[in-house]
Amino acid sequence: MGTKPWKALLLTLPMAFLLALMMTQGKLPDALAARVAVILTYSLFSVMFFLIIWSGKTYKYRAILFTIIAVCFCFSFIANLIEIRGSMALTKADILAGDTPFCHLVIPAVIIPAALTRTIIFPGSMLEGFASIASMLVLWAGASLVLGRGWCSWACFFGGFDEGFSRLRKKALIKKIDQKWTYLPWAVLLAVVLLSAATLSPFYCQWLCPFKAVTEFEQVTSFKILVQTVIFVSLFIGLVVVLPVLTRKRIQCGLFCPFAAFQSLTNKINVFDIRVDTDKCKNCGICIKECPTFSLDSKSVGEGRTLMSCVKCGKCVDDCPRGAVTYHIKGTRVNTGSDTARVLFAYPAYLFMSAIGGSMIVSTLAYLINYATAGSLYG
Amino acid sequence: MGRAASIIGYCLAALAIPVAIATFVGMDFFSRGLVAATGLKVSPWMNGGDIIQVVERGGYQTQIHQPVFDGLFGEKEEGFVQVDWTPLKNLPSVISEEVDFDRDGRADFKISLDVEAVSAKITNENPRIKSLEGCYKLKDGRAVRVWLINDKR
Amino acid sequence: MIQGFFLGLASGTVCLANCAPVLLPYLLGEGGKIPRNYALLGQFMGGRLAGYLLFALLAWAAGLYFSIMRHRGLIFGAVYIILAVLMIYTSLRKTENKCLGNCLGKPLIPLTLGFFTGINFCPPFLMAFTEASSIVNLGQCMLFFFMFFLGTAVFFLPLPLVGGLERFLLLKNIGKLAALLIAVYYLYTGLVMIGGS
Repeated sequence: MGTKPWKALLLTLPMAFLLALMMTQGKLPDALAARVAVILTYSLFSVMFFLIIWSGKTYKYRAILFTIIAVCFCFSFIANLIEIRGSMALTKADILAGDTPFCHLVIPAVIIPAALTRTIIFPGSMLEGFASIASMLVLWAGASLVLGRGWCSWACFFGGFDEGFSRLRKKALIKKIDQKWTYLPWAVLLAVVLLSAATLSPFYCQWLCPFKAVTEFEQVTSFKILVQTVIFVSLFIGLVVVLPVLTRKRIQCGLFCPFAAFQSLTNKINVFDIRVDTDKCKNCGICIKECPTFSLDSKSVGEGRTLMSCVKCGKCVDDCPRGAVTYHIKGTRVNTGSDTARVLFAYPAYLFMSAIGGSMIVSTLAYLINYATAGSLYG
Repeated sequence: MGRAASIIGYCLAALAIPVAIATFVGMDFFSRGLVAATGLKVSPWMNGGDIIQVVERGGYQTQIHQPVFDGLFGEKEEGFVQVDWTPLKNLPSVISEEVDFDRDGRADFKISLDVEAVSAKITNENPRIKSLEGCYKLKDGRAVRVWLINDKR
Repeated sequence: MIQGFFLGLASGTVCLANCAPVLLPYLLGEGGKIPRNYALLGQFMGGRLAGYLLFALLAWAAGLYFSIMRHRGLIFGAVYIILAVLMIYTSLRKTENKCLGNCLGKPLIPLTLGFFTGINFCPPFLMAFTEASSIVNLGQCMLFFFMFFLGTAVFFLPLPLVGGLERFLLLKNIGKLAALLIAVYYLYTGLVMIGGS
């Protein structure tokens, strides 16, 4: 189910306009490297959106862009840290100064202490600096309204690692994964929320976050921090690299991430979902097999729905040979044969993706252009 | 009913686009509004709490923070007080001071802080003092945190 | 003795915050209905009371207070480890949805969990322990702890209401897995406390 090229072009124009506004804010940067980077990134995003609309394939192009964003996020983040701090390691001075960028993964852990003490148990800044606590909360709230758990496939700047590694092999080496493991993110969520509240510290960041391996981590100055370091490196290698390669699934996102479990709840208030037309469905099971986040099972397919954990990545929609799985707007009829729901979802989802990921790609390209032309990432 | 639900659904779906745009365009406004409306601030367990006393030492300052006992419900029976010395360039090689964090005119602990080695020793002068939690580098100075017993409980 | 009750009331929320990581996953993991959860809570609280009264005895016994506080790291570290092992056991064993009567027949696990959380890391308990150590009469000391226990117990009453969610089988699995994760953290904490002492 695609769209005619002229119609796809027409539908891309408003997005191209919004992208231009977002990426240039009315003016191209003066520095040559930044200017080239903005033009390349703008072109990439515009072309990808056109392809999503024209081809009718959401997952295929989204996954490529999503992976690029994750890699660029980490590259630009680390390059920036090394430029301003000289290291990826977070010192106690940075923590005491509140210089730690806030990230969405910590949101579930801070809610109870925030509600009871009106304080955020995170060593960041409420309003100042990069990724301030308030700005990330606003970003998360907006995205949750618009995307629900679609955040995990369109806005999360870490998810692309899982996605990328899960696409490296054509066939999975591990095919059977017990359903009970899908409860683990909820268990991690419960443990993290309770222990964060009891210890008044961001337990997930300190003990469990695998993505410290590709962003920043506390400088090892004690046995405790050494143990924490071993844990996050192991979790990154195991859950983000090895298992996604072996299973072709987003293991970290689907079987571990407590934020993902928490974010599933927002699917309940979000107007977009994925539905299965049970009249068209022949129960071939392809969607269940291919779902990267274990969000479909035979029972849910029989009921014409996905599970609450659906990330709206579009894989099942792309892969269903009968076109029985579609994006859907709650309250409307299922599978009307129209592409309207998919396009209406693609617009805000793509806006979040480009607004969050665009600057990361621009920064990375600028660093690389600097390196190619001046021999240094920093120009 | 079906038709009304459908119309509402499409309207909400279309509304998602301006909501997405507003999230980014109004980020600063919403962020400030959120902080103003909720009164949220960073936990003093993270940043040491508000500075309540600044003592000029001739070239450098001793900054004493509000003792922190904040718990999930009420106050904890143990907390800490953070003391900063800044700016780094004017600090003596060893800081030897008496610190009166409760402002009762009597020293609560004596500290000897080796600025280069980032290590410190304290001598208790007040039974509320439990022990030295740690000595830390700041961006422009040094800090210590000292464990305290909450006498209000 | 009313002082003990008010001390309990004043610090019960802190007790709850400290006990919830043990009790909540356990109740979810048992997957019982609300009445059964109250029975389990009763046993848990019975265990806590037993722990309190034991320490009341110790607090009263001359000299023991100070020796306990001197070896605090070792004692509480060991208690953390025992608690962690218990939590691992409860999360790995198979449970069946038994009726109230059967459940009361096997009170060992919630009772033991309650006992070890009661004498363990709960900061208000340590405070009560300090207060009680100055009481000369054993009966008064016991009564002080009993009243303290009553004051804190009020805050635990809503917890069994998670039993209202017992129809969700997945919550049972989530509770068990969460208990396992929390147990690993307690195990580490216990080992570090012993190592540090």
